[in-house]
Amino acid sequence: MNDKLKNLYKTQILTYAKDSTYEGELPYATNTLEAYNPMCGDKYTIYLLIKEGAVIDAKFKGYGCAISKASTAILVEKIIGKELSKIESLVAVFLDVINEQSKHKPETLTSDEALLAFAATREFPERKKCASLSWDAARNMNL
Amino acid sequence: MINPKTIRAQFPIFSQKTPNGLPLIYFDNAATTQKPQSVIDAISGFYAGYNSNVGRGTYWPATEATSSFESVRAQVKDFINATSSKEVIFNAGTTDGINKVMNSHLLPHLNAGDEVIVTEMEHHANFLPWQHACELKGAKLRMVPLIDTGDLDYKAFEAMLTPKVKFVAVTAVSNALGVVNDVVRLTKMAHAVGAKVLIDAAQWVTHKKIDVQALDCDFLVFSAHKLYGPTGIGVLYGKTELLDAMPPLAYGGGIVESVTLEATAFRGLPHKHEGGTSNIAGVIGLGAAIDFVNGLGLENMHESTQLLCNYAIEKLNLIDGITVLGAPKERAAVTSLTVDNAHPHDVSAFLGEKGIAIRAGHHCAQPLMDKLQVPSTCRLSFGVYNTIEEVDQAIDALIEVRNFFA
Repeated sequence: MNDKLKNLYKTQILTYAKDSTYEGELPYATNTLEAYNPMCGDKYTIYLLIKEGAVIDAKFKGYGCAISKASTAILVEKIIGKELSKIESLVAVFLDVINEQSKHKPETLTSDEALLAFAATREFPERKKCASLSWDAARNMNL
Repeated sequence: MINPKTIRAQFPIFSQKTPNGLPLIYFDNAATTQKPQSVIDAISGFYAGYNSNVGRGTYWPATEATSSFESVRAQVKDFINATSSKEVIFNAGTTDGINKVMNSHLLPHLNAGDEVIVTEMEHHANFLPWQHACELKGAKLRMVPLIDTGDLDYKAFEAMLTPKVKFVAVTAVSNALGVVNDVVRLTKMAHAVGAKVLIDAAQWVTHKKIDVQALDCDFLVFSAHKLYGPTGIGVLYGKTELLDAMPPLAYGGGIVESVTLEATAFRGLPHKHEGGTSNIAGVIGLGAAIDFVNGLGLENMHESTQLLCNYAIEKLNLIDGITVLGAPKERAAVTSLTVDNAHPHDVSAFLGEKGIAIRAGHHCAQPLMDKLQVPSTCRLSFGVYNTIEEVDQAIDALIEVRNFFA
């Protein structure tokens, strides 16, 4: 495997892709997000329990490539316990990390290693949608 | 037996390197084939040498353009064994051909309560137009199921056939699984209840010789770009009496004898159905593609690609963690597979970095993916320039991916 590819499929990303900690339904969810890419069929439902302007708990269910699955798992992990207003800026930071046209170097945007793991997506524009799929849904959630 | 290595030299794309500096190994021939130099030269030769509109100009180069254009029509007639060149209508491709038959032939004849039959393995191009027609007219769209091997359930099809069935649209070869359908039998069965039949020959055109008279199908469609020809050009074959009875597929210039406010008299076949300026360069390119195929011999091409496909499947079937989908009676040089724990897009990204182009996705056949209970697959499809060594490299890469995601 070449270095470019190794960079995309970092251990961290693969670990999240294989980890089922955040997988499943949330029976007491107050909101759900649907993330779907009709071009490839990747599809996730993200279940949220929102109380007093914050995400108390979250889980996801669905199917997709390692990149989209890991990024969904990381989204879920990062938003649990967060106020909705802070989620908005978190999502903006992540989408900038993976944006190959961004003026900012990824490491100047965040020090969060889980988010930075996706910076290599900048080298694979065709996989950007995989990384952003669930985050785009979160950006548009209008809660 | 043809030699892929010498054929390869005729395709300039293989002298390119991928962005990683590797040779291109191209296994996405079911999506589109690469183009030989002769096709590229024919297209640029038209633009550089005798560019003009066709049909009406009485000057050179219009005369030369028209005669080249019409000679390709005759070439296509022979290629598919139509009874007349009038039965060969040029269009933008398979999708365009199917939509035009739906609009111009089926819609005027379809009534509420009628039925249209497609199969579970159709490409969306041979599914959505019929679904649209049925929704519009209150007709019922039915789907012939597959059996476990991936073959069509012919008994189920027989049971569906009643006088209510007005139209049957079926692919000759599944673009996702490579399953070859017995279109002669299907056509005969459909005709027994008076239904008209359209055959989607997009994948078949490089598989075996098409003989529309032997098939007795009412319509048949294919694209040039899966036949080593250019994109944006395709062929609609239709039986003369059906094409004659149909209103123009597209209204525009070049299709009339005379026009007044009260009445328009249309030209005869095939011009009635080719409104507007055709993709002339595309037609010229299609002619060169047919020359290329005839030069190699369709049977030789079939033998070569089939050998690669069978070899790949035999090897893949021995590998734990890789599953080849379907085991049909007859398969064209296309196969779908899945790798345990690895999503097809991850697999194709891995192979892509090694210069190996395979297709991952639902292959525009979502009803089929539902049937197979997979969201998507990896597909390898073979062309005349592919070699055994390339197949080995692809299989080694698939094993590497399997190990990585295990």
